[in-house]
Amino acid sequence: MEQTQKTDVIVTESVMKVYDADGIPVNALNGVDLTIQSGEFTAIVGPSGSGKTTFLNIISGLDAPTEGKVWLSGKVLSEMGGNELSDFRRDNIGFIFQAYNLIPVLTVEENVEYIMLLAGVPKTERHDRVVAMLETVGLKDVEDRLPTQLSGGQQQRVAIARAMVSEPAIILADEPTANLDSKTGADLLEMMRHLNDETGMTFIFSTHDPMVMESAKRLITLRDGKVDTDETK
Amino acid sequence: MSFQSKYYTERIPSFLLFVSKNLKTVQTIVGYTMILKIAFRNIFRQKRRTILTALAMIVGFTLSSMVIGLSDGAYSNVIKMFTGNRIGHIQVHRAGYHDKPSIYKTISNYEFIGEEIQSNIGVEAWTPRVYAGGLGSVGEKSTAVRVIGVDVVRETEATHFDKKLVQGNSLAETASREAVIGQGLAKTLAATLGSKIVIFSQAADGSIANDEYTIVGMAESGDDITDRVTCYLHIEDAQELFVLGGRAHEIVVIVSNINKVGKTTEAIKESLNDSSLEVLPWQVVAKSFYDAMQADKQGDAVARFIIILIVAIGVLNTVLMSVLERTREYGVLKAVGTKPIQIFWLVLCEVVIITIGSIGIGALLGVLINYVLSIHGLTYAEGLTLGGVEFGTMYAEVNARSLMIPGITVLLSATLVGLFPAIKAARIMPAKAMRTH
Repeated sequence: MEQTQKTDVIVTESVMKVYDADGIPVNALNGVDLTIQSGEFTAIVGPSGSGKTTFLNIISGLDAPTEGKVWLSGKVLSEMGGNELSDFRRDNIGFIFQAYNLIPVLTVEENVEYIMLLAGVPKTERHDRVVAMLETVGLKDVEDRLPTQLSGGQQQRVAIARAMVSEPAIILADEPTANLDSKTGADLLEMMRHLNDETGMTFIFSTHDPMVMESAKRLITLRDGKVDTDETK
Repeated sequence: MSFQSKYYTERIPSFLLFVSKNLKTVQTIVGYTMILKIAFRNIFRQKRRTILTALAMIVGFTLSSMVIGLSDGAYSNVIKMFTGNRIGHIQVHRAGYHDKPSIYKTISNYEFIGEEIQSNIGVEAWTPRVYAGGLGSVGEKSTAVRVIGVDVVRETEATHFDKKLVQGNSLAETASREAVIGQGLAKTLAATLGSKIVIFSQAADGSIANDEYTIVGMAESGDDITDRVTCYLHIEDAQELFVLGGRAHEIVVIVSNINKVGKTTEAIKESLNDSSLEVLPWQVVAKSFYDAMQADKQGDAVARFIIILIVAIGVLNTVLMSVLERTREYGVLKAVGTKPIQIFWLVLCEVVIITIGSIGIGALLGVLINYVLSIHGLTYAEGLTLGGVEFGTMYAEVNARSLMIPGITVLLSATLVGLFPAIKAARIMPAKAMRTH
């Protein structure tokens, strides 16, 4: 792989998030300062309720911090409007959710194609990319099926294909292996690691899975909404 | 961006920027067949909810179509009865006759004027009439009568005079001292066919008008009050009785299209070009009747408003539930880059697609029901009064209005009500939405 200049793709400054749980304030994040550079393969770990998912939601603009600032590829997220933020996410971030979150009425092919359609990618290019991506994730034979006709592992592969097909700069994966058997989880992880090495995409995982932690090049531990440890392997 | 383009861009009024941005969005959305595809598939995926939403719209549309069809049918019948069979669509008199009728206000050259009227496009027929009041006696019995002198041939052609006869024969085509009287008048005077009726009145020259006529027929016009006083004579007999010397009080005009009566009235005015004559459409001639009908139509607006409410509540309920059930999905769509405006269109597309389908089904049902009601009618046990006319049976009319108005009403109310859930879906925070189950 060609050596490229590392840039800061995500920077957080004193990020706090307080949820209102039936009138009781719950501090999910308590001032997180982090910088993630391009090409990283980072795992964010920590016990349940430590703020991993909240952190991923905030750095992707899916949720707004109560306090603090987030820079994504040099842009301050809180300064973007609804449509701008949607466009920014579409063009720069790929999501892999624990619950797959595929669009139930679209086939495998259409789910993977969806983001490129939104981005206005020409038809031929869309088709070529979808075919190549489905081949990469091993789903070429099930392209016409609906998500409900797939196994959990297959659905997660579709989610991965959808996240990566538009070649975003950052992939955010929330517990991507949680619903998969260890063999499927290992295969998918291997595939993502391979893509990280090949394309230089930035991967950020929130996980409990030791296998993901093992693969990660950087391990950030959150505890009570704060960065507890931050080690680079 | 060059300095010059930046200079101009900064000076474009903000609303133009807003429009251009949104136009771009709309163009993009049009290109996004996927949004439409998702909308279609969601409709078929949630069959029960779709059926419930569609049912509210179909019921609303069909009811509305039926109400309009029935009321239009009833109005058409009333107008037909009042105009085609009685007062005509347009009347021509000596100026001032309509406001203050008088035996002296006559049209002298009515044959020539009638031919001139007939030459106008849209005029189907015309007929002259003579009017005068008097006392009618049969044997010992007497009562006030209204004599109408008619040209039997023209009157039959224009207002179907022959169809008013319920007993006996029509008047002879030439003056023969015959009379046709209303059934109510026959009852009052205890007259039978062949009885002699003597008319006493004052003639136009101030002399006593007094003559005897043989009752050859009895008529029913559809209006009891008219039938209690009317005595039809041949126009020449009436002219002779009242010493009118070939003059008439009224020319009744029948047009081929009643909806163009205003236009035809103007055309006749223009062609006659005579300020001593008044040319009046039926809406002026029968103003109180026309006003009563307009007031009845206000009742239709209330019925339509109730129907809109039924549709709106039904649609709001089902669409809102659908949006709430799919909160998570909208969160996912937004997370992967779908714009809020696209989510808005997605929800609205679903509503509009269901609405168009429902309007199609509703239109079929509406046409079918109105068609059946136009043949068999809707019979009221105690009758219904409309514009002062009592009906036993109301017949519907199959027309474009009974499809257009419900169609526009249902489409607008459903779209308007769909805006709220659509905005709600568009404003969903992805992270929060994806936490819902």
